[in-house]
Amino acid sequence: MQSSMRLNTLLKNTVVYIVLGLFAGVMVFPFLVMLFTSLKVVEDTYNFPPRLLPRQQITMQVDGFEEPLPLYYVDQDAQRSEYVLIERSVRVANYAEPDDMATTYLREVDQVTPTGGEAAPQTIMVDGEEEELFDIEVDGQIIPMIVESRTALGRFADPNDLNTTVLQNVRLSEPVEKLTYTFDSYQEVTELHAMGRSLSNTALVTIGVVLGQLITSILGGYAFARLRFPGRDKLFVVYLATIMIPFVVLITPLYQLMVTIGWVDRLAALIIPWIFTAYGTFLMRQAFLAIPNEIEEAAILDGASRFQILRRIFLPASTPAIAALATFTFLYAWNSFFWPLVVINSGNESNRVLTLALNVLGGRAADSPNLVLAGAAIAVLPPVLIYILGQRFFVESATSTGLKG
Amino acid sequence: MTATSSQSRKLPGVDQEGSSTQRFLQIAFIWHIIVSIAALVGLVYLWTSNVEFPVWQRVVASVIAVILGVASGFASPLIRSRDHRGRVLSLGVNYFGFLLLLLSSMHLFGIFTGIDALANTFGRGVPFIGFLVSGYLINGFGERAEKYPARQRLLRQIGNVIMGLSLIGFLFAIGLLQGVIAILVQVNTPRNIALALGVLLFGAFAWFMWRGNVAKAMHESSDDLEMLNGYLFLSPNLLGFLFFFAGPLLLSLYVSFTNADGFGNQEWVGLANYGEIFNLDFARLASPDQAANEVLDITVYDELWRFSIFGSSFVIGAQDKLFWIALRNTLVFVLSAVPFSVIPALFLANVLNSGIPGMRFFRAVYFIPSVAAVVGVALIWQWLYNSTVGWINYFIMTVVEGINSITTAGLLTDPQIGWLSDTNVALFAVVIIAAWQWLGFNTILYLAGLQNIPKSLYEAASIDGANAWNQFWRITVPLLGPTTFFVVSTTTIQAMQVFDQVFVLTRPPGGPGTSTTTMVLYLYSQGFRNFRQGYASSIAWVLFILILGLTLVQFQRQRAAEAA
Repeated sequence: MQSSMRLNTLLKNTVVYIVLGLFAGVMVFPFLVMLFTSLKVVEDTYNFPPRLLPRQQITMQVDGFEEPLPLYYVDQDAQRSEYVLIERSVRVANYAEPDDMATTYLREVDQVTPTGGEAAPQTIMVDGEEEELFDIEVDGQIIPMIVESRTALGRFADPNDLNTTVLQNVRLSEPVEKLTYTFDSYQEVTELHAMGRSLSNTALVTIGVVLGQLITSILGGYAFARLRFPGRDKLFVVYLATIMIPFVVLITPLYQLMVTIGWVDRLAALIIPWIFTAYGTFLMRQAFLAIPNEIEEAAILDGASRFQILRRIFLPASTPAIAALATFTFLYAWNSFFWPLVVINSGNESNRVLTLALNVLGGRAADSPNLVLAGAAIAVLPPVLIYILGQRFFVESATSTGLKG
Repeated sequence: MTATSSQSRKLPGVDQEGSSTQRFLQIAFIWHIIVSIAALVGLVYLWTSNVEFPVWQRVVASVIAVILGVASGFASPLIRSRDHRGRVLSLGVNYFGFLLLLLSSMHLFGIFTGIDALANTFGRGVPFIGFLVSGYLINGFGERAEKYPARQRLLRQIGNVIMGLSLIGFLFAIGLLQGVIAILVQVNTPRNIALALGVLLFGAFAWFMWRGNVAKAMHESSDDLEMLNGYLFLSPNLLGFLFFFAGPLLLSLYVSFTNADGFGNQEWVGLANYGEIFNLDFARLASPDQAANEVLDITVYDELWRFSIFGSSFVIGAQDKLFWIALRNTLVFVLSAVPFSVIPALFLANVLNSGIPGMRFFRAVYFIPSVAAVVGVALIWQWLYNSTVGWINYFIMTVVEGINSITTAGLLTDPQIGWLSDTNVALFAVVIIAAWQWLGFNTILYLAGLQNIPKSLYEAASIDGANAWNQFWRITVPLLGPTTFFVVSTTTIQAMQVFDQVFVLTRPPGGPGTSTTTMVLYLYSQGFRNFRQGYASSIAWVLFILILGLTLVQFQRQRAAEAA
C-alpha cells in the first residue's frame, strides 16, 4: 500500500516535470535559436535540417598556398578521408566514343588534346552535327572521342601529400566542420547598421522615462494620498478614468502636438510625454495610502517639511512599489515600438531607437538571419539579463500592476 | 529620523515683522500690479498684432494671460492688507509664471531638442555610471557595518565622494559644459534676455513668498500650507498630464470630426468619418452567383460578404471594406489569442502551485518572453516560421515522419505550411507568437490568485471525498473568478490593440493580402501612410468604444457570476 502510493507520487511528479519542462522548452527555445544563430556565419544559417549550434568549416594552412584551404570529406573506395580543396573550378568533360555514348570517360579539358593536333583538329558528323574529336587515353590505348558533357569540379588534395588529388563536385561535398562561434554579426550590426547608436538612444530614453516618471509619480501620488487641497478627489477620478483609455486614441493628436512644438524626429518626443502617467501616480498613491498616519503626524510636529517626510519616511517604506513601477516603466520604455515608429522618420538614422533599428534591419538584412538575430539579441538581452538579476521585482510588478509591457 | 527644518516658521520669537519682510511685501505689491498690466498688454497684443498665430494657440495664451492677470490683480491688494489668501494667489501666479517662462525658454533655447546631441555623447558617460554604481555599493556596504560606527561613517563618506565625483565626471563627459555655454550664448537677443529675466524674477518672488518669515507675516494657516504643498507636489504631474494626455484626448475627439491630414490642414466634416466607416449597403441577389455590381452601387460600395438564407441570397457592401476586414481579423485574433494564452496559463499555474520543488525556476522561465521586445520576438519567430529551413516546419515534418513510420506508411503527408505566405495561416502565426509571449504573464497572475485561496477549503473537500478533478472545478475555478476576469479583460484589451507583432512579422505589414490587417494597423496606415489623420482618429474612437464595451460586458458577467 505504502510503496504503491510512493510509486504513484513518483509517477505523478515525473509527468508534472515532463509537462513543465516541455513548456519551459517552448518558452526558451526561440531565444536559444536567436543566440546561437547570431553566433553563426551566414553560410551556416541555411541548413536543412536546421541546426542549433553554430559550426564553421575547418580550414588548413598548406605549404605553397597563401590562404588557408577549406577541408572536405572525400569518399574513395568506401573509405572516408579529409581532403583540402586546392582548386575550386577545374574544367572537365565526359568523353565518349561516337558509337558508344553510354560509356563515358571523365577527363580534365586542359589535359586533352584534339585528335590530329591543335593545328588540324579532326571532326566527325554525329546526328547531323559536326563534333570535334579528342585523343583520350584508356588503359594505355588512345581512342578518339567526342565531348558528351562539360562541367566544373573541385580539385581536392590529401593535405599530407598534395599530389594525391581527387576531382569532386564542390557543392555536393560535405565540409569538415567544427563547433565554433563568431561575434562578427554583432560587430557588423553595431557598426554598419548603426545599432550602437540606437542602443545608446534607447538607453538614454529609458533612463529619462524611468527617472522622470518615478519623480512625477511619487510627488503626485503623495499629494493625492496625503495632502488635502480643493479639487483633489475630482482630479483623482479624472486620473483614474483615463487609465482605461488605450494609447491608440492619443496617437494622432499627440503626433500633431509634436508637429506643433517641433519635436517630430526628436528624442524629446520619446521621453517627455511619457513621464507623466496617470497609472504611475495611481500606483504610488495606493502604496502611500498603506503607510500609517501616525508617523507622519509625529514628523510634522517635529517641524519636518513635507518634502523631508516624503524622502525620509514614505520613500523607504514603499521601496517594493517603487521598484515595481520602475521595472514596469523600464520594460515599457525599452520595448516601445509604435510611438517611435510614428514620431521618428525612417530616414533619420541617428535618432532611431533599438526597436526601430531592428525593424529596419529585419527588412534590409532579411537574407542574413545571423545579422537580424544578432540585432534582436541586442534589443532583447538587456531586459532579460536585468530580469534574471531582479526577478522578484518583475514578478511583483506583474502582480501589482497587472499591466503588460 | 532627523527632521531639521530650514523654515523658521516653527521657531519661537520674532513676533513683529522684520523690516526686510515688510520691504519685500511692498515690492511684491507693486510687482503684482506690474504683472497684471503686463498680462493686459499681452492680451491686447495677442489679438491686434499682425503676427499670425493659430487660433487655438491664441485662445490658450489668452486664457493663461487672463488667469494670471486677474489672480495677480487680486493678489496685490490682499498682500497690502496682509490677507493670507493674497500670499496663496501670489505664490500661484509666481510659481506658474516661473514654470511657464522656464519651459518656454528651455524650448526656445533648444534644450529639449538638445537631447538628440546628448544621445551622441551619452556613450562617453557610461564608464562614470559604473563608478557611480560602485560608489553606491560601497555606501550600501557601509550601511551594513552597523556594529562599527567609525567604519560605517568612513565607508559612507568614501561612497559619497566616489558618487559625487563620478556624477561630476559623467556630466562633463556627456557635454554639460558645452551645453551650458550653448545656452548662455543664446541670451543675447532682447527677447531671450527678457525671458531669462522673467524666469529669474518670477522664481525669486515665488521663493521669497514661500519662505517662513513672509508666511508668518501673511498669517499662513496650516490648511494653507497643506494646500500649497498639495498643488506644488502635484504640479509637475498635473501640468504634463494636461498637456500631453488630457489635452490630446479632447483634441483626438475633435480631430475625428475633421479631415485633418497631419500637415496642419483641417476642416470640420461633422460625422462624415464615422459615416464612411459604418456605411453599409444590403441587397438581395437574384441568384447566389449574381455579380455584385448589378445590385450595389459600386462607385461607393465594395462587396464585403454574400450569404444565402431561406433560399434567398443576399450581399452586403461596405464603403470602407478594409475597415470591416480589419475588424474581422482583430476579432478573430482576440478570440483565438485570448483562450490560447489564458487556458494554458490556468493549467500551468495549478501545476506550479502544487508545491513541487523547482516551482520558482519554472515560473521564472515562463516569464522570460514577457520581458522581451515584441519586435525582437517577431523577428525570431519569423526565422522559426521560415517555410523551407525553419524549425517549426522541421518539427512538424519530424512528427509526421515519426507517426508514419509507426503506423502503416503514408497516413499523413507533410503539410509544408507557408506560415507567413499563406493567407489562411498568417493570422494564426501571429496568434501563436502573441499567446506564447502572454502565457507566462497570465500564469503569474493566476499563481498570485491561487495563493489567495485558503488551503482549508481543499482539505475539507478531500475529507468529503472530492477528487482532484472535482476540487479543480468546484473550488479553484469559481474562486479564481476575479482573477480570470482580470486576466481575460487585460489580455483582451491588449489583443484588441495588436500592432507590433503584425507590423514586424508580415511583409508588407498586414499581408499577405489583407489577411493580417488589424484595426490598429489599419489605423496606422490611414493616419501615417495615407495621412488621413481625421479618419484615423475616428477609427481609434471606434476601437476605444469596442474595448470599453467588451470590458463592460465582461464586468457584468463577472458581477452576475459573483451574485449567483
